[in-house]
Amino acid sequence: MSQTTAPAAVPRDLAAPRAATTPSGKPHDFSRKYWVFAVPAAVVIGAVIVFPWLFTVFMSVQDWKVGGGIDYVGMENFRQLMADTRFQEAMWHTLYFTVLGVALPVVLGTAAALVFHREFPFRGFLRTVFVMPMMATPVAVSLVWKMMFHPQLGVLNYLLSLVGIGPSEWVFNPNTVIPTLVLVEVWHWTPLVMLIVLGGLAGLPKEPYESAVIDGANGWHMFRYITLPLLWPFIMIALIIRTIDALKAFDIIFVISEGGPGTASETMNIFLYLQAFQFYKIGYASAVVVIFFGIVVALSLLLLYTRQKSKWNA
Amino acid sequence: MAKLIGDLSRRDLLKSTALVAAGAVAAPAIVSRANAQSKFDWKRYKGEKIDVMLVKTPRGDLLQQHEKEFTELTGIEVSSEQIPEQQQRQKAMIEFTSGRPTFDVCMLALHVQKRLSYKGKWTDDLRPLINNPEMTNPDFDVADFGEAGMNFATQADGVINTLPHFVDFWMLYYNKELFAAKGVEYPKSMDEIITAASKLNDPSKGVYGFVSRGLKNANIPVWTSWLLGQGLETIDPKTGKLNTDGPEAVWAGEFYRKLNKEFAPPGTIGFNWNECQTSFMQGRAAMWLDGIGFATPLEDPTKSKVVGKVGYGITPPGPKAHHSAIFADGLGIAQMSKKKGPAWYYIQWATNKENQLRMLKAGAGAPARQSPFKNPEGTQSKTFAKDYFDCMAGSGKIGRPGLPQIIPVTEFRDIFGVALTNTLSGADVAAELKKATETFKPVLEKSEQG
Amino acid sequence: MSAIVGSNRLTPRNILAKAGFALSVFVLVSPAVLVFLWMLSLSFKNEVDNTAWPPVFIPSPPTLANYVDVFARNNFLLYLWNSILVTGGAVLIGLLVGVPAGYGIARSKSAKFAILILIARMTPALSYLIPLFMAFQWLGLVGTIPALMITHLVITIPIIVWIMIGYFENIPTELEDAALVDGCSTWQSFRYIAFPLAKPGLVVGGILAFIFSWNNFIFSVVLGGKQTRTLPAAVYNVLTFEQISWGPLAAAALLVTLPVLLLTVMAQRQIVAGLSAGGLKDG
Repeated sequence: MSQTTAPAAVPRDLAAPRAATTPSGKPHDFSRKYWVFAVPAAVVIGAVIVFPWLFTVFMSVQDWKVGGGIDYVGMENFRQLMADTRFQEAMWHTLYFTVLGVALPVVLGTAAALVFHREFPFRGFLRTVFVMPMMATPVAVSLVWKMMFHPQLGVLNYLLSLVGIGPSEWVFNPNTVIPTLVLVEVWHWTPLVMLIVLGGLAGLPKEPYESAVIDGANGWHMFRYITLPLLWPFIMIALIIRTIDALKAFDIIFVISEGGPGTASETMNIFLYLQAFQFYKIGYASAVVVIFFGIVVALSLLLLYTRQKSKWNA
Repeated sequence: MAKLIGDLSRRDLLKSTALVAAGAVAAPAIVSRANAQSKFDWKRYKGEKIDVMLVKTPRGDLLQQHEKEFTELTGIEVSSEQIPEQQQRQKAMIEFTSGRPTFDVCMLALHVQKRLSYKGKWTDDLRPLINNPEMTNPDFDVADFGEAGMNFATQADGVINTLPHFVDFWMLYYNKELFAAKGVEYPKSMDEIITAASKLNDPSKGVYGFVSRGLKNANIPVWTSWLLGQGLETIDPKTGKLNTDGPEAVWAGEFYRKLNKEFAPPGTIGFNWNECQTSFMQGRAAMWLDGIGFATPLEDPTKSKVVGKVGYGITPPGPKAHHSAIFADGLGIAQMSKKKGPAWYYIQWATNKENQLRMLKAGAGAPARQSPFKNPEGTQSKTFAKDYFDCMAGSGKIGRPGLPQIIPVTEFRDIFGVALTNTLSGADVAAELKKATETFKPVLEKSEQG
Repeated sequence: MSAIVGSNRLTPRNILAKAGFALSVFVLVSPAVLVFLWMLSLSFKNEVDNTAWPPVFIPSPPTLANYVDVFARNNFLLYLWNSILVTGGAVLIGLLVGVPAGYGIARSKSAKFAILILIARMTPALSYLIPLFMAFQWLGLVGTIPALMITHLVITIPIIVWIMIGYFENIPTELEDAALVDGCSTWQSFRYIAFPLAKPGLVVGGILAFIFSWNNFIFSVVLGGKQTRTLPAAVYNVLTFEQISWGPLAAAALLVTLPVLLLTVMAQRQIVAGLSAGGLKDG
């Protein structure tokens, strides 16, 4: 891991001798020449990302069912959505899932990074094992999880019984379904958080710790007042990435609970899927996307804002 | 008819002799010869190739296993695939409406897609083909298809846009060993299911009295099975009136809730057929209400612990009537297909007497034809006891559709499925059904407008 | 940091600390081990053992029937090839247009474009499905490999651009500026100065994009056809109606995961290095 700091360190040294100035002494403003680099991407993004957005907005104001006609209905879909209790519930489920699905992996992943940062026998191998869930294909693993959750015959209840804990109904109970789904999400994505934070730990300077030891600080103090502040930017990144992915979570919920029991784990994504690909209500489903999109835009602006802030603090 | 059946068994007899003597080559040859004098020519579309989309089931397996036989008979190449039910329905919907389906023959779930397929002009009317002696093998015998299946395949105006392939009857699986251990008799009425379940229920041993689907959508047939005991379908087939929040529906809902809450394994609220099947197969549930098509793995020693102990009971009579909820799959020709002739040949072959008999013999469910049941070979099985076939035959006589014959079946199953699930977590049955009925009414009205 | 954690002398306190540490490693690693071993176990047992209670952990005798079944009943190699085409294509195109874009955005400090990328990254993949499906229907591309590849660009491009912006932002501009003053074109300064320095980012971006794209199944479920389905969608299809089939399912699940798993095990060093090399620090 010695090469980790290379990209940041090398160019600064090389670049030192010469300053980029115009003959008049003013710094060059090259920024206008660089947009060319983004042109190919802009074309592709325009076609596969921006076009769908615009088209979705168009569809959201139509009454459009697959196999039927198209009628302009203005805001009617949105009005119906606002009155749709199932949609409101779906928003709460999404929030519940996202909060748990962000907080737990970030805390656990940070703890795991602290553990894997230390030297111990078989560290490389064990770290690989720990990271494996991140690569597993969610659909495939989710199907296996579902079977493990079987309340009568699942292996998880058996393992619990070995340590004297009574059986749980896991995803087969409206009250435990979301936490259980989060459990799978945690299993999947804690490794990514761990990797990011581990990267941060690798770049930490040694000096503050040395002087802290001289000052007689204990382990907790060093963690609380040295490690944590230095790691904060990395934890922030992990937080952002997790928020994005938890909000997008679809596969595992779709495969394991299909939004059930009843509607107990129906998140916005599942609701959207039902409207679009079970009931084929394209207009209504598009209205869901537009609202979701609004939330996403608001959230990304917020994230960019916090990112700027954390950058200053770091 | 008698002559035809005679023909069939003679042919089968010949076939099995040939099998023993010289391998499996004889059968198609004999079929070809049998039709030598008619105008019908199996080889008319020799060299063509068709695409077939099936649902992933033991029946799909059977058709695929014997595809070669069709190719030998007709010279038509088949490229078929089986897709799981839920995605297959989605694919059918998407591809039919796109106007460019990638298949020529499609299997449809008639209990869900009957009206939808007709309204969307998915598949061709088969009557002109059936009545054309040049196109239809004289041995085909349409009259042999049972009433239950044919009703599913026939639209209100008489158009037959699929041919039924398989009919599923809902019935009650019971574990004879558990019943004997507690000295319980097979319930003679719906109310007796409850008394039996309470005697058989033994949670301390991990054995439960009764199991059935709780998962939304999937749970609807359980409820409609009970409702049929009141002599009602969820939507009256003649008047189109919703029977979903009346006293009968509430009774059925209460019945559903009682069984699934008091005598079922924990977590049934999220059970689909496969969790129920797993519980029953491991001897952990004494009774299981579901389709008879799910029986095959129960008698497979590599999958099941209850081999030879399974009883197959007809759904017991309810307070007012005695019915079995039925479902059906059919095969149709895509209207946009460019190979309708070969496609029709495939359907003829897939639903012929021999293949339907195979289905019954393999325990892959109840065929849509009647002849397999009359054929002694069909009901003599090493895997299945007599009550399996009796249950099919008996259920067939009292069958009524387990889902309403409307266009928005998916919405119906979703809305009422959620309502039923809610009752399992404590909500009031009458209130939930009333709310669901109000939600569903406008959806239904809109769909009937056009 | 390891030096700070404690000396190697075996005091009772130290032994306790070591035991506690070992326990925490065990707790961290066991969920992953449990699930993968259980999948392995399922894939080598028959169904009666797979649903048995108490569970049977060690297959006896182990059977290969599930793997045989997966290959016999599915065109597994075709699906594997489809997955390679779709994901490979989407990642390659993603890198081809995404890396220069990341550079351009970082250097021109185009915040608007960056926000666009972030929003694209956050929008659930599902929401692109309806309009793209409609578009492909008009173009007659539903069920083709190009349609799937194009759809997967929705996944790969935002990740790659997003990570590359962070990388290029962290590479000081002095050297490039100097090169420009000396008469290099912006393309040359990108190609010969910035690009080589950002290679770790390329690896991380490429691998993450690969994982997300490889594992996506809903696109293929809706847009894929008989001949064009990708592996994850095919695995979902292993589920049989009317018959449970856990053994073949577990076997298929392991087979799908295997390529990504191997890739990561091989490239783990680069991923860890790349993630910590600063690309994500400000990204």
